[in-house]
Amino acid sequence: MALVSVSKAEKSYIQAGILASPAHRLDGRSLHDFRSIALETGVAPLANGSARLKIGRNPQDGSGGTEVLAAVKLEVENVEGGTGGVDGGRIVCSVSCSPSAYPNISSGALDDLQHDYTDVINQTLSHPSLHPANLGILPRKKSWLLNLDIVVLADAGNIYDALFMSARAALWDTKVPRTRSIEYKARKSGPSAKDKDMVGGSGDMDVDQDTVSGFDTRHTSGAIDFELPDYWDEGEILDGRNRWPLCVSLNLIPPAHFLDATLQEEASASIRVLLMFSFASPGQPTLQGMRMLGPGELSMASLKALIKEGGKYANEMHSALTSKLRDEDLRRNQKAREKFALGNLWVYIKCASNPVLKIITQLARNGLYGRASMEYRIC
Amino acid sequence: MTSRIEILNAGGYRSDGRRQFELRTIEIDFSPHGSNSDGSATISHGLTQVSVSVFGPREAKMRSQTFHDRANINIELNIAPFSAGERRKRGRGDKRVLELVQTLKSTFEPVIQMSLYPRSQIDIYVQVLQQDGGLLQACINATTLALANAGIPLFDLVCAVTGGVHSTSPLLDLTQLEENDLPNVTIAVMPRSGKMALVSMETRLHVDRFEEIFRLAGEASTVIHGEIKRAVKETTANLVDAMQPGKSSAGTNAENEY
Repeated sequence: MALVSVSKAEKSYIQAGILASPAHRLDGRSLHDFRSIALETGVAPLANGSARLKIGRNPQDGSGGTEVLAAVKLEVENVEGGTGGVDGGRIVCSVSCSPSAYPNISSGALDDLQHDYTDVINQTLSHPSLHPANLGILPRKKSWLLNLDIVVLADAGNIYDALFMSARAALWDTKVPRTRSIEYKARKSGPSAKDKDMVGGSGDMDVDQDTVSGFDTRHTSGAIDFELPDYWDEGEILDGRNRWPLCVSLNLIPPAHFLDATLQEEASASIRVLLMFSFASPGQPTLQGMRMLGPGELSMASLKALIKEGGKYANEMHSALTSKLRDEDLRRNQKAREKFALGNLWVYIKCASNPVLKIITQLARNGLYGRASMEYRIC
Repeated sequence: MTSRIEILNAGGYRSDGRRQFELRTIEIDFSPHGSNSDGSATISHGLTQVSVSVFGPREAKMRSQTFHDRANINIELNIAPFSAGERRKRGRGDKRVLELVQTLKSTFEPVIQMSLYPRSQIDIYVQVLQQDGGLLQACINATTLALANAGIPLFDLVCAVTGGVHSTSPLLDLTQLEENDLPNVTIAVMPRSGKMALVSMETRLHVDRFEEIFRLAGEASTVIHGEIKRAVKETTANLVDAMQPGKSSAGTNAENEY
């Protein structure tokens, strides 16, 4: 299955470039440079968390590059009844590829490819060690099923890194709706109630009272259902948002390895090592998964060295991505606040026409002048 | 009754604040998806968003699918699982997907000048990103735009619009909420010839109402046609500007205008 075809000459040219003493690649990057990455969260309005990621997009017209769309949707699931629900929630990931991402392969091959991607993502992200704590709703009754769906819109190389980064961003963005459990309690039958109910005259019969035994230490919750309380935000953030793993694809043309390969470079590399690292605390990567793709082979010693190197790259990726995600959080919250503030201001302008100039000058100081004046013109 | 969302309130406004005959905002984006598609377009009608890439005319993957006198049109449709309110993963063999593909195919086969490209194939890949009613309409309009962007000769720009009726008052460009509750019809028009490319109705509609909706939807499609035409002309003008050799002055003028 060839995603892209390279000729022998092209292949050897790329390999020679990588192995040359100042290494050179087709687009002028050094061996461990990434292409530019663009990330946006909150792109799917109907999802609980979503992200769009592009690697190596042409800055002029937005064409080219790898483009991936990830979204998280939560569903309520019954734990009992053989529906597949698990106490404490579960995570199911799936990757689908748009045929426009792989225009030259047949639909059967596309299915295989989707299956390959799904397998890697699913096995890594639904691992018990990464399981978030707040996916349960009612113990042994109901829980959240977290569906992570990733759509590959375009592939220009380094798809695994893109998949994991977008998955991390979407999971970071995920909000779990708040729930409140409901409990139905039978009315305590006090003496007065008993008197009232006594119609049939069987009141003086000895009835076994349900008393709680002191030896029963089982914790049983009487909650049988739950409701969604009205609250101002979309819910609490998904637990363990710092832990979600990142993937580092090391492309090998022994003895050199390089990062963020384009499709041609991927086809020229003899072997590709995928290393999935998660971060319990920043700066300390834990190896969460590993794959080797391609026909080449690797010695134990060099693999060990690669894992060490990979950890270093993962660290850099992690800190860069985390700061971007924090930025993105800030941008969306601030934007929402600003919009809200402007909305109020707009009403104010409408009501009193006199102090308009004063407000606009005030806004100019705050750097909001453009939007304010535009809105003013409209009204 | 009070807890239900009113489709059309006493003031004549719909649930999303539109008037009866008001269309949702249309956004058209020609920026290419995928590295090497021949033409692509993303259209959003309000919150419904569809992206289409066109490849071809090119050699068919399977020789047996080709025709000796005309091109073969291959349409594949992919609905993102998170696009609707309830998550649903639809594969390629899903009935709804197959039906949509078949409808698109029969709409575009008479419009594309297929006889110009014998023994070749035109691939149209439709990706649904968000759904909020009017899915078929968005698919048709996006495909028209992508085909025009790919430079494939068309007899006409097909424009589609949805119409529905709430008791006796007709509505245009329905959202999901309205589509679930009202009888609705999607029509696609070829504005130059004034012919219909498609009339699709899955609900029951009183025969007396049909005529009015049909006429209104026809008028609305001319509005959509205007938008599509404007977008196509704009990109084509940019392309022509960029292609003219040694006319750097035109480029700087254009820059000054922005």
